[in-house]
Amino acid sequence: MLTVGAAAGPRAKLQLNGVSRHFGAVQALAKVDLGIAEGEFVTLIGPSGCGKSTLFNIVAGLLEADKGGEVLLDGAAASLLGKVAFMPQRDLLLPWRNVLDNAILAAEIEGQPKRAARETARSMAADFGLKGFEGHYPQQLSGGMRQRVALMRTFMFDRDVMLLDEPFGALDALTRAMMQRWLLDIWSRYRRTILFITHDIDEAIFLGDRVVVMSARPGSIKLERRIELPRPRDPALLTTPEFNAIKRELLDAVEEESLKTFAAGAV
Amino acid sequence: MALLRLVLPLLLLAALWEGAVALLHISPFYLPPLRQVLGAIHALWPAYAQAFMVTLGEAVVGFVAGALVGVASAAAFHHARWLRDMLFPLFIASQTVPVIAFGAIVVLWFGNTLMAKAAIAFYLTFFPVTVNALAGMEAVDPRQVALLRSFGASRRDIWWKLLLPSALPRIFTALRLSAGLALAGAIVGEWFGASIGVGAMLLAALFNEQVVAMWAAILAAAAVGGTIFGVVALVEARLVFWRDEL
Repeated sequence: MLTVGAAAGPRAKLQLNGVSRHFGAVQALAKVDLGIAEGEFVTLIGPSGCGKSTLFNIVAGLLEADKGGEVLLDGAAASLLGKVAFMPQRDLLLPWRNVLDNAILAAEIEGQPKRAARETARSMAADFGLKGFEGHYPQQLSGGMRQRVALMRTFMFDRDVMLLDEPFGALDALTRAMMQRWLLDIWSRYRRTILFITHDIDEAIFLGDRVVVMSARPGSIKLERRIELPRPRDPALLTTPEFNAIKRELLDAVEEESLKTFAAGAV
Repeated sequence: MALLRLVLPLLLLAALWEGAVALLHISPFYLPPLRQVLGAIHALWPAYAQAFMVTLGEAVVGFVAGALVGVASAAAFHHARWLRDMLFPLFIASQTVPVIAFGAIVVLWFGNTLMAKAAIAFYLTFFPVTVNALAGMEAVDPRQVALLRSFGASRRDIWWKLLLPSALPRIFTALRLSAGLALAGAIVGEWFGASIGVGAMLLAALFNEQVVAMWAAILAAAAVGGTIFGVVALVEARLVFWRDEL
């Protein structure tokens, strides 16, 4: 049940082997090994400054890994830029584009005709709780809705692997809980491989097939925990003894790492 | 409603002018009554209309060229740091040459043509636009750029879909400022021997001590400036409707 740095079996969709990264004298990542199977939902938690964002930027193709490590998509090492759907912490919606036009941004950059992309977006709007708001501008929307537009943009960038960097971090607790259930629902329908960063252990367990805990800097995989809680998951799960047992176990690991970060004066 | 907001202050100003002249017994040498000024314009309407069109043309050509070159330079500077380090000091140095001195040279080069006046209007316009457009592009959130790159965006995509629209609010701030500068440039250009145009009229009135004609020329100049400014403001309202929300 408890494996460290293991691959996700033979059919890894995304495979990281010994991925490290330096920034000058600072080592942000140290030999990260992580495999994600097709259609799997993996959540990643770790203390602040553990290199999660560095890891994400590498997987998104925005940063190069140090020599010696490799990132394989479908078993092949190639530039990842434009191959995975990346959603950063902030929604980063463009204020001069309405909901539909923000959602089609990635599709448009890919060269899809705007009209066709808008039609697709229109048909997806209901799934994303945006029906009736297609013509609204971001500044007219609530935080939860803005985040759904950003997620729709990520889904419309039709890639097998999705990287979500604390997408619900800025939302209030109630909105956040709703968005989590909604994301699971969407995921079960669109079936993508997801790597999801969060600070929130509850969120990590509630969403993931597997929770990966990162160590303090230099970041590496401290432990992986498969979450065998039944799906579909509902909020009542959060109070079950099974859930709490997993939480206890993960909390210990995360706290140990947070303390290391704290002692190093990084927080 | 918008029209009323525009017309009302003008009417107020006109009433103030007329009232002040009548009540305070201001000598017509200092400030002739507005009626008289408008009457002069009315009497020579074709001449004033022509002057208006000529000066507007000069200012607009220089203004549009300055805006385009300003945005293009900003894009180039944003793109290539070395280009910026090399050329930006020259841009600044160019602005230390007084516009009058520059005007004399330009008239030597282009003669008494529309191009000469447009060149001076251009000279005054492109610099504020460059500076503001560059500031706008530099202020773009790097995470926003990273997001577009993760979608596989080319530099061209990033420029058209992100950098340019992001810089628009600041570009328009510069354009509103430059509207008046372009007009000033065109008028200064006309002072070097032009026979038609608002600036030429102003100078002729000054030499002949025709106070009413001077004021009429000033009103015509204000009309040119107001027209450019108005068009800029209209375009801005359409393109940068999201500005207040930032």
